[in-house]
This record gives sequence, C-alpha cells and structure tokens, in this order.
Amino acid sequence: MLRLNKRQFLIGSAGAGIAAVLPWHANAQGRKIMVLASTVDIPNFDPHVATGYAPQWLFRNTYDALVRVVGNPPQPAPGLAKSWTQSEDGMTYTFELNENARFHDGTPVTAKDVEYSFARLLRLQQGAAWMVAGILDADSVKATGEMTVTMSLKQPFAPLLSVLPWMFVVNSKLVEANLGDDDGQSYLLANIAGSGAFQMGRARPGDLYELIRVENDWHEGGNLEGAIWKIVREAATTRLMLQRGQVHFALDMFAEDMEAIKDMPHVVRVMEPDYRSFSIKMNTAKGPLADKNLRKAISYAYNYQAMLDAAGPAQLMHGPLPTGMFGHAPELQVYRQDMDKAKEYLAQSEHKNGGFTLTMMHAAGYENQRRWCLIMLESLKALNIGLDIRPMVWPEIVSMAKSPDTMTDFYSIFQSANYADPDNTAFAGYHSSRNGQWQNPVYNNPEVDKLIEDARAEVDTAKRAELYRKFQEVIIEDAPDVFGVLESRKFAVLDTVQNYEFCPVAANTMEVWPLSLV
Amino acid sequence: MLYFILRRLVLVVPILIGLTLLLFVVARLLPGDPVGLAAGPNASAETIAQLRQEFGFDQPLPIQYWTYVTGLLQGDWGTSVFTRRPVFEDILTYLPATLELVFAALLLAVVIGIPLGLLTAVYRNGALDYATRTLALGGIAMPRFFLGLLLQLAFAAWLGWLPLSGRYPFIEMPPETITGFYTIDSLLAGDFYALRVAIAHLVLPAFAMALSPLATIMRMMRASTIEVLQQDYVMTERALGLSNRLILFKYVLKNAMTSTLTVIGLYVSWLLGGTVLVETVFDWPGLGLYASQAILTQDFMPVIGVTLVIAIIYLITMLVVDLLYGVFNPKVRYA
Repeated sequence: MLRLNKRQFLIGSAGAGIAAVLPWHANAQGRKIMVLASTVDIPNFDPHVATGYAPQWLFRNTYDALVRVVGNPPQPAPGLAKSWTQSEDGMTYTFELNENARFHDGTPVTAKDVEYSFARLLRLQQGAAWMVAGILDADSVKATGEMTVTMSLKQPFAPLLSVLPWMFVVNSKLVEANLGDDDGQSYLLANIAGSGAFQMGRARPGDLYELIRVENDWHEGGNLEGAIWKIVREAATTRLMLQRGQVHFALDMFAEDMEAIKDMPHVVRVMEPDYRSFSIKMNTAKGPLADKNLRKAISYAYNYQAMLDAAGPAQLMHGPLPTGMFGHAPELQVYRQDMDKAKEYLAQSEHKNGGFTLTMMHAAGYENQRRWCLIMLESLKALNIGLDIRPMVWPEIVSMAKSPDTMTDFYSIFQSANYADPDNTAFAGYHSSRNGQWQNPVYNNPEVDKLIEDARAEVDTAKRAELYRKFQEVIIEDAPDVFGVLESRKFAVLDTVQNYEFCPVAANTMEVWPLSLV
Repeated sequence: MLYFILRRLVLVVPILIGLTLLLFVVARLLPGDPVGLAAGPNASAETIAQLRQEFGFDQPLPIQYWTYVTGLLQGDWGTSVFTRRPVFEDILTYLPATLELVFAALLLAVVIGIPLGLLTAVYRNGALDYATRTLALGGIAMPRFFLGLLLQLAFAAWLGWLPLSGRYPFIEMPPETITGFYTIDSLLAGDFYALRVAIAHLVLPAFAMALSPLATIMRMMRASTIEVLQQDYVMTERALGLSNRLILFKYVLKNAMTSTLTVIGLYVSWLLGGTVLVETVFDWPGLGLYASQAILTQDFMPVIGVTLVIAIIYLITMLVVDLLYGVFNPKVRYA
C-alpha cells in the first residue's frame, strides 16, 4: 500500500492543484471548425420525422434537397437538382439532378433515391410532410430517367419550390439495408444517410454534435473542415464563450444579450428582420371575443408603441403577413391605438359597458410575452375589462389550443415561417383545416379559406399577389388577432466568419458549408 | 448483517412500486399533450393519433402501468416521446456525468468540511472559527447557480485559469468510455493529459455544488465534536494523559461522525436532485438537464426513469450510511 508522509502528501496535493489550475486555452482557433452555440438539442436525425430548428440545421448540412433557399429576399437555388422546369398549368415539375452529387458512401445520388425519399416522407406523414398535404401523394414523385425526376401535383401549388428545401433525399440503398420493422426510423434516428457536405462525427446528446466535412465533398464553397453544434443553455455562458473566441456563431440571443456584447471585440452583431411574427390570437369561436366589434375595440385599445418599446430590436406587424414577404400589402390600414375608435366599437358590441374579465396565456419563461400581456392588461383597463394572465408550459399550450372550450380568450404566439411564401403564414395561421392546432386553434372563415386555397393554387404571380391582398383585407376587417411585432433575428458572430448572408427564412438553421473561417 | 441488508433490499421493492404508481398517475393527470408536441407543430390529427398508439398512450391507464412495470422488470424503461430513444439508454448516457459531478462535489465537501469542522470545534471562538462560520453562512445562503456564474467570471473569464463550461474541450476527443467518468476513464487509459483536462473541467461546477454541503457538514461536524468533547469519557482520557491528537482522531472523530454521516448520506440525493441549475450554468450534460427537458415537454417516461434512478441511489446510499454507523460506532447492532 502506498504510504505518504505529511510532506509528500502536501507536495502531491499542491502539484495536483497547480496542474488543474494551469492557464486554460480550449478553443477551436487554428482549425477550420466552426462552433455554433444553441440552446436546443437535436434529438432525432431522421429527416423525414424530426421537426424543429436544430434538426433542420443538421439536415441542411448533412443531407441535400432538390432545391435550396438562399438570400434576402429568399430565392430558390439549385440543390441536388441543377435545373428544373414547370408546366404551364403548374401541375408538373421536372428536375434534372446534378451528376456530381454523391452520398457519403460515394455512390451517386439518382432519381430513384429522390423517388424513394418522397415516398418515405409521405408514408410516414411526419416531419415536413404537412407542407405538401393534399399536393403530393405516394405516386406523385417518379424517377423518369436515371437523373430525371418528375413531380405530378394533385393540384397546382405555387409555393412548391419554397417547400422543397425541407424535403431531404436519403440514400435509398442504405436505408433499405437497415429498414427494420419501422421503415428505417430506428436506423435514421442516430445515423445519417445523406449526401450533404458533412457527415456525423461525435454525437453527444444534450452536449454537442460534431459534423466532419466529407472527403471529396461535391459541394463547392467554404473552407470548413467541420462544424460543432454546441448546446449552451445559459446566456451568460454563451457571452463568455464568445468573448473567449470559443464560439463563432451564437444563435439564441436576446435583446439584452445583444446590448451586453455591443462593445465586445471581434464580435459582430447580426440583427435582421425575419419572417417570425408575434401576434395575440383571440378566441373567435367562444366567449366575449366571438363578437367582432369587441375584437376591433381591443385592437384599437392595445398600446402598440409600448409593445414595440418592450420588444427590443423589432418592428410592428402590418397585418397578418410578415413585412417584406411576397404578397404583403403595406398600404393597407391596420389597427393602431385609438381610444376613441376603441370606445366606439365597444359601444357597438354586446359588451358595451365592459365589467368582465378575460383570460390570456403566455409561454412560461418568455419575458417579452409576459410584458406584452401586461400591456394588454393596461390597455383593457380603459375599456373596463379585466385580464387574468396565465403562464403556461408548451405542452399545456398545445393541449389548450385543441378546442374553443379549452382555449383562453387571448393566446400569445410566435409563428416562424417554414418557407418563404405567404401560404405558410396564411394556411397555417388562418385556414380552418388547421383548427385545433396551436397556430390556428379556432379561427374559421369560409371566405378566408377560399382565398387561401385560390392563392396557393394560382400560378400567375400578379393574380396571387392580388388574392393575398384581399386575404389581408378580410383578416384585418375580421380582427382575429392583435397583430404584434416582428422581432429582429439576433445572432452574434465572430469577425473571422466569412461569406455569411442572412436569409429570413429559417434563419437559425443556416447552411454552414458555404461559410469560411479566416 | 446479511439479514439486515436483505431486509432493507426487500423493503426497496414496495417503495419503488409505490413510487412508479404515484409518478405514473400524477404524470398522466397533468394537463398537456406531449405526443402532440413531439409530433411537431404541423402534424395532422391522424399522425398524432398514430404516434399516441405507437407509444401506447391510447390504452387505459392501468394497462399502460402494467405494461410499464412488466417492461421495467425486463430492463425496458420505456421510450422517450421527445428523443424517441429508450429511456434506459438515455439515462446510461447522462448518469455518469452527473454522478462524477456529484461525487466530486461530495468529495470536496467531505474532505474540506470534516477537518474544518473538527478544527473549529477544537479552536472554537477563535479567528478560524469565526471566519469559517461566516463563510459557512454564505455558503448555505448563496444559490448554486449564482455562485457558478461568479466562479466562471473569476476563474474562467478574468483569470483564465480554468475552462468555462462543459466536461471536456469540445474540439477534442474525450477518453474512451469505460465507466463514463472521464477522470476514471483517463486514469484507466493512463492518459494523464486527459485526466488533467477532466479535473480542470470538474473543479468549478463541483465547487459550486459543494459549497452548501461543505458548510453544512462543517457546522454539523463542529457541533457534534463540541458535544463529544464535553463527554465524561473525553475528560477521563485527558486525565489519563492521552495526547490531544489521539483523543481527537481516535475517540472524538468516530463519535462525532455518526450524525455527520447521516447528513452526508442525505446530501447525496440532495446533490443528485439539484444538479439541474449547475448543469445549466456549466453546460454539464447530465441527468439534471435531461430531466428538466423531459419535465418541460411532459415526457413522462424519462421523468419517471430519472426519479427512479435517484430513488434507487438514495436508498442504496442510506443503506450504506446505516452500515457505516457500525464502523464508527460498534454499539450499533444490525438486528
């Protein structure tokens, strides 16, 4: 047995202490490895199952879709498809695949893989399948040549090229070899079968995901050898990591974080408007807010300026569609605080004297949402209406949104644009087929449904814009929401990052393979 | 003693059954729709219904519980709705990180707390006593996450002596997993660089977690030692001319340890259940973070699984503590 005298013990202890306390330099400098800090985990690697922005980031960098989305304003760009054509009636699309595209195992990406991938996506009915519900079915996507894919739509769908970037192509042979009894879900849960610029390195759930550049990567651009998705849950820790150069891209920054880092050397603040909207939905199906005049009274009573002041970098929404998106009509008159009009509409309502209390929820932990609820509380006082504010965790919100009976009178909600088309916001947020879902729990107006359906099927751009203009007019008149703010997307980026271009669609799921580090 | 251990182990079974039943019922009574959430914001009602069937949530509660309990006995702890991975696999992934942190914190608390408690009792009302009592008050009162942030600021951001967060530099490969404890794995691999790195990452979060138990252990040890020092037998030993060192370490320490040992045992579960804040501040990928994520998404199976693990570890710890009473006090009989 090892025996130490007192002197040896003290020297040993001091040595261990000094060894542990030596100057510490652990960062990714010197290697072309980009580190992104996010609060969100990537629980599932299956591109036809997983949803959420962290998995989407993974898919955009390890898989390919036929079409990519780039730029500001967002535009479709070649992905696996080097070119495409569209029939005049908008019912058929033909894609020519890039002959250079290779899966990670070196096999070429063929039209059969594309056909297989769409069939699997539509079979599983998870992930991004909802985007093409009623548009594509199991027989819609066919390999009509070794490198040619033909898509026959069930009905015209103008935003098709906008939704394709979220439909990723898997290596059909690899998935078939690992099919199991669940259509390969168990395999793809933790494995990548893609053709993207990176393959999976270390995957440490709850901690980090490391992507390694594929040898002989067929994508052109960027000098990154790898990328690390590092989960950092505490904002203060993220700021310190930025300061020490351990993180190149901090994705989940709040207004106060941006303020705190404004003088930090070598850190560039990115604050860009994107298509993520915040609005306060009203229970149009049950309770006092089923009365349109009361909804209008509240829309005029709300203090929008206070909301904007509380939001940090943001702009007020101008109607239901995000500013800058195709179809948005900035010339339309929207509600702004006007107490005379508020009282006028209140007098026309069935609740002219007020004297009742409404309920409003906000997502627990979202400070801005809580502030906006308090602004509603103050605004309603002028109409002699009380407000009961309830924080809720997300599963409760999903459950609450299922029926008019369970929905609170007001419902605070952020809505991200999954694709760069007004159809995304309009269909998810206002079409009655979405009732019971958190994006549109109860609003139901057949006229709005018809406009949305017509607009998504219209292939003539000018006619589409007109339909969306009409849609916005009807929605503003109906006042189902208090249209809130478009918070600017906030990132912190080290000045060593090159080639970054902000894209307002799914901004936090950016492709990193075209980026470089200097 | 064997009979004592067996009897205690048998008692664990009804406790765990009761616990699973309670957790199972409470988890299902909470408002919310974890499957709807896991299916994604745009999933159709049919997809959600299909998933609910897949996870067995469409079955009556007693059948769900029976399926779960029988699965438990076969090593199937259910599947996480959120990660879609088996809960047992998830727990095995996260548990070593948490245990390493908890043991390191406990080690710090015991190694520093017990000698300090002894010293302050012997030299009570002296400068050391006052200083450590003040520090102890601060240690008990200061929230762990706040202390963690202060430590990060001082030792990582300003002085740069220690890493800011994580278990290991994220651009390097950690030691090959054998036990999941990076310190032990690096030792087993004979990799002293990795050992140094793992210890350096462990220091700040372990200290942030250790301060409160350290202060409690020190105060408990001090109080027990003062009480023992006033016992007649200590005076007798002194009258017999035994040295102070002998009296302190051979007779007083053992008797004073009994109550402190209980506190140490209780702190194991306290530390296990309370890692979430420190794990959040230090990005320590452990069980606390996993559990908090599961709670927020109302992912029942991981919540029940983590609670069971903590309960099992707690019960084992208390059994070990009971056995250790006998080491420190031979009068204790295991009947």
